[in-house]
Amino acid sequence: MIKLNPKLSQKLSYTILFLATVLAVVPVVVIIFIIIKNGASAITWEFLTSMPKDGMRGGGILPAILGTLSIVTCAIAITLPIGVCAAIYLSEYAKNNLLTRIVKLAIVNLAGVPSVVYGLFGLAIFVMFLKLGVSIIAGALTLSIMELPVIITTSRSALNSVPYSFREASLSLGVSRWQTVRYIVLPNAIPGILTGAILSISRISGETATILFTAAAFSVPHLPHSVLDQVMTLPYHLYIISTQIPNMPENVIFGTALVLLLMVLTMSFVAIVTRIYFRKRRKW
Amino acid sequence: MVDKIKVKDLSCYYNKKCVLESLSINIAQNEILSIIGPANSGKTTFLRTLNRMNDLDVTYSRTGKVYLVGDNIFDMNMENLRKRIGMLFAMPIPLPVSIYENIIYAPKRLGLISKKSEQDAIVEQALKDASLWNEVKDRLSSSAMKLSGGQQQRLCIARILAINPEVILFDEPCSGLDPISTAKVEESMIELKQRYTIVLVTNNVKQASRVSSRTAFFLMGKLVEIDKTDRLFVSPKEKRTEDYITGRFG
Ligand SMILES: Nc1ncnc2c1ncn2[C@@H]1O[C@H](COP(=O)(O)OP(=O)(O)OP(=O)(O)O)[C@@H](O)[C@H]1O
Ligand SMILES: [Mg+2]
Repeated sequence: MIKLNPKLSQKLSYTILFLATVLAVVPVVVIIFIIIKNGASAITWEFLTSMPKDGMRGGGILPAILGTLSIVTCAIAITLPIGVCAAIYLSEYAKNNLLTRIVKLAIVNLAGVPSVVYGLFGLAIFVMFLKLGVSIIAGALTLSIMELPVIITTSRSALNSVPYSFREASLSLGVSRWQTVRYIVLPNAIPGILTGAILSISRISGETATILFTAAAFSVPHLPHSVLDQVMTLPYHLYIISTQIPNMPENVIFGTALVLLLMVLTMSFVAIVTRIYFRKRRKW
Repeated sequence: MVDKIKVKDLSCYYNKKCVLESLSINIAQNEILSIIGPANSGKTTFLRTLNRMNDLDVTYSRTGKVYLVGDNIFDMNMENLRKRIGMLFAMPIPLPVSIYENIIYAPKRLGLISKKSEQDAIVEQALKDASLWNEVKDRLSSSAMKLSGGQQQRLCIARILAINPEVILFDEPCSGLDPISTAKVEESMIELKQRYTIVLVTNNVKQASRVSSRTAFFLMGKLVEIDKTDRLFVSPKEKRTEDYITGRFG
């Protein structure tokens, strides 16, 4: 080994670390730049609020926006309460025995299962076995099962970040376990739970594979009016117009991508603001 | 003297390792009993057994009986027991809410308040009894986390007083406090003796002699000696007690 002098090695490692950071940031910036540059011209009020026309080459993407919003809303409405309850049970009540440890381990690992597998599962269970058909509700249920491990994991770390001494103080005053959870632990864990939930929303908004199996349609000529309807969704719509339709105007493709991107980024932004807001308010 | 608490042949274990061995001790109504002893002698374990905070610890187990005026505490409902036997920890733990909310929290949750109008009176009385009222009466709605350590500790006392227990356990309540704060906490303790039975674990031999009527000396999980405080400090029966008091070990 060549022995570098400390000053030089300091400089070298600084440069390497800096370059790595640049390397990580540059592609994201370039992608966002390209999408905005090519897509911004498509974004008009009409684009956001009307039905597609001319074999999707014109008009707007309203059904896809509404489709994505309704699936995501249903999914989070199902997964959040269940996930938070499960997290409370695991963190606050479950005895630390072998079974609990296996369940916890399983939950952590379930978060790593590829989404296409969940899609296939949703197709078999919700679409076919429960006869929900390809529909908003089938997609939402599939997405909630997929997101459940993530919600449980983030909620548990939010619960665990509330100091144990607060629980002890409350219990030592004769307050019951449930009331301690309800009035001391939960209020202090809500910011973390919310942040996790919002990030989950932004993650499933862009989810394509599961939706493909369970909820999405190539084209639906009307807006969704029941949870049993098939819907168009932004990610799937984007896939279709960029691969299946010849002579697609480029700015419509990038415009659609931009809408999806904005939706996801807005959600992440809200998550960040929530976190900052609550961290400032936190009193310990 | 009426016995408030009777401990019969109590042994406590963590992971089957005995840390408190066949302890029998009676605690009289309205007395302040001090418990002194070197580190790891089982003092905290004893207190946390009395209001069953240790039942939350899965590695903990025990044998023996403890009676609170006739009822075996291990047969009692845990919430009821803790309402009757309050505990103050070594480190003050204010809840992350306002001073007012800290005091009213437990009475509210335990259903001790029927009318909203009673709240103010409870808060004021509890803070006065804990000698804290004058210092905080103008900022009841500010965060309890912003109080000084000594004020936080007295807030925790007030919080216990608000549920009106019969017994209060103090676990080294002044270990993190300066002499003036310590004096204030001691002052409120002596005040409280009129109405409550108090068990005070302390590392401070002088504190024990200032506030308590009787003192027990614990060593390595055993009760070595218990006697009137002045007698124990002036003429202990056991050599080990004398060694500890005169600072020869521990
Ligand atoms: N939660 C626990 N798990 C395992 N062992 C414990 C636990 N708490 C206490 N012990 C052990 O039990 C023994 C008695 O501890 P305890 O805290 O009751 O002593 P103490 O007299 O309060 O000491 P100190 O003066 O340092 O507070 C010690 O050996 C300690 O290591
Ligand atoms: Mg201790």
